[in-house]
Amino acid sequence: MKIKILHMYADMLDLYGDSGNMEIIKYRCGKRGIECIIDKYSVGDDMPYFPEYDLVYIGGGADLEQQHISADLLKCRQGIKKAYKSGTFLFLICGGYQLMGKYYRDADGNEIKGLGLFDYFTIAPSSRKKRCIGNIVIKTEITGKPVKVVGFENHGGQTQGVKNPFGTVLYGNGNCSKSSAEGYFEKNVIATYLHGPMLAKNPEISDYMISYCINRKSDRLIKLARLDDKLEKECRKVMIERLLNK
Amino acid sequence: MKRLLILIGKIIVKILNLLGRNAGNLPGIILWHLSGQKCCSIFKVDCPVIAVTGTNGKTSVTNCIAQLFEKSGKKIIINREGNNLDTGICSLLLRHCDMSGRVKADYLILETDESHVPVVYSQIKLETLVVLNFFRDQLDRNGEMETLIQKINGFCKTFDGNLILNGDDPNTARLGRANPKNKKVKYFHAEPYAFATTDIFEASEGRFCPFCSETLEYEYYQYSHIGKFICRGCGFGDYKPYVTASKIDLDKPVFMADGHKYSPKLNSIYNVYNMTAVASVSKLYRIKQSITDSVISTYTVNNGRMETFMLGDRKTTLNLAKNPVGANMTLRVMNEMKGEKELLFVLNDNVADGLDVSWIWDINFSIFERVTRVITSGTRAYDIAVRIKCSGYDSSKIVVRPDLDEAVSELAVTEGRKFVIANYTAVQPTRQALRRYSENGGKHDEN
Repeated sequence: MKIKILHMYADMLDLYGDSGNMEIIKYRCGKRGIECIIDKYSVGDDMPYFPEYDLVYIGGGADLEQQHISADLLKCRQGIKKAYKSGTFLFLICGGYQLMGKYYRDADGNEIKGLGLFDYFTIAPSSRKKRCIGNIVIKTEITGKPVKVVGFENHGGQTQGVKNPFGTVLYGNGNCSKSSAEGYFEKNVIATYLHGPMLAKNPEISDYMISYCINRKSDRLIKLARLDDKLEKECRKVMIERLLNK
Repeated sequence: MKRLLILIGKIIVKILNLLGRNAGNLPGIILWHLSGQKCCSIFKVDCPVIAVTGTNGKTSVTNCIAQLFEKSGKKIIINREGNNLDTGICSLLLRHCDMSGRVKADYLILETDESHVPVVYSQIKLETLVVLNFFRDQLDRNGEMETLIQKINGFCKTFDGNLILNGDDPNTARLGRANPKNKKVKYFHAEPYAFATTDIFEASEGRFCPFCSETLEYEYYQYSHIGKFICRGCGFGDYKPYVTASKIDLDKPVFMADGHKYSPKLNSIYNVYNMTAVASVSKLYRIKQSITDSVISTYTVNNGRMETFMLGDRKTTLNLAKNPVGANMTLRVMNEMKGEKELLFVLNDNVADGLDVSWIWDINFSIFERVTRVITSGTRAYDIAVRIKCSGYDSSKIVVRPDLDEAVSELAVTEGRKFVIANYTAVQPTRQALRRYSENGGKHDEN
């Protein structure tokens, strides 16, 4: 068994341990004997053939880094769209999330064009001081069972027009300041503001994606072997108790 | 009005002293409110002011610069306690001014928080600014790194005093172009040491030229993004160093700077950069060479920066790591040491640590060599345990003990060499726990 991942702009979009998500997926695949190939793509590299990947991952970056990559990302639009339509999983954090929408309007009113794969759009408040910063807990049911997901958010942008959020906010801000919805979800898309890295304390979400990737071309359901997630679950429990049971 | 504020401030300091409290930050906070947020503007400072800023090394460099002047017989004022925000500096000056707010000293030497440089020095005239480095650190407090650099860059645009910059850090060196009219910009630089690499080793900032967006080319990296860089697009990085550290040999340890040989006590590449900054200030102020020699060769620290403890007969080295760069350096030192060892990692997420702990994912744990066991502790003991596990380290060798005393006892169960890494708010409680153990543990052994 094998899954192929394309990690885009790893050298530029890597805020709050986002690259850790790749380390975690690779680790969880490795423990199960699933081969996990992670290719990297960045500005100026040869255009990859996106549909050959099971998962495309884009992390978040500071404003300057996001400006650097946005023009390049637009060049990849057709390829990414084709991959998404053919079932490639899109895993998008923060900036990656924003840039897949219609547009991102920054604090100075400049509009950065998004890929427009999805209908949402993001507007940053004119004051740079107004940011959504802090620990965040959301509840998601994407795995069929309610799961509390813990992460860390830091974004100025307010994302609006999300039809199907990734989860509901139990603590923190979410898509907009003090909002109830967080992220965007489709069966092959997780887009979220959660850093931390997001997968560190939330093994169910890693396994949802791994399971999707190995099953998408298989005719029978392949079940993932269970792993010892004691540390991860204890880690999440400590944070949930601290944040929600105050 | 200013006199009234000084009077109020002095009374607060007196009351706090009478109550047996250290007048750290509180008088400054009160005056900050009373003075319309300009609590440093109430003082009259006639002497030269030297400020040191940057992510890592501020305290060390500030203390060494202070020694340069003290040993030259000058009266100095320094914020030794590390109260480095405007309010802390205000509290410090309150204790050293007369009733008219006049500050009497030959030199004011101030460690200054990165984000507070423009705040403080729009109110007090600055003669010399030393900028050491900018790393990811407490991003959630300062907003993004770029915002922080922009703030200081904005200040430098109109600053015409001495600007001493780490020329091997593009984030710092770029400040040299902020004010083209300023002829007093000086860069310090270090030649490669034995563990310098041609590829980048740890996650870091500043891969692109801030002026023309070209990828920066590196001749070598010392650690993180610190190294000899150049932009082929616009020539950024092409400067003549004011002071260069060369012939760096950390085994001895020795290095040369500006033709003089120094034998520092601390054997890290960090320390070489810090001391090169000190040597630059010394050159600028024409300090006697014998004084510079003695400051650089005797400087050592016992505040959790490579500090040694004995747990019974087990040698234990504690190092503070506020960010991945610091942690990676400790791991390197640990790896370069022969034989088996155990690691205790104490991770807190208090406000001063910056709430978010994701920086631990930028630590390169895959380089672990001969580490036989890992113990984790602190308010985020499980986060660091998960992080080390996912780097591929055998999870059955990871022990989580959130309580510090329990963690230290666990560490002391086995024989052999021990290392302890603690982040900012964890370092003092960790020192205390190590001391408690070595004191009580020692007695226990005798019984």
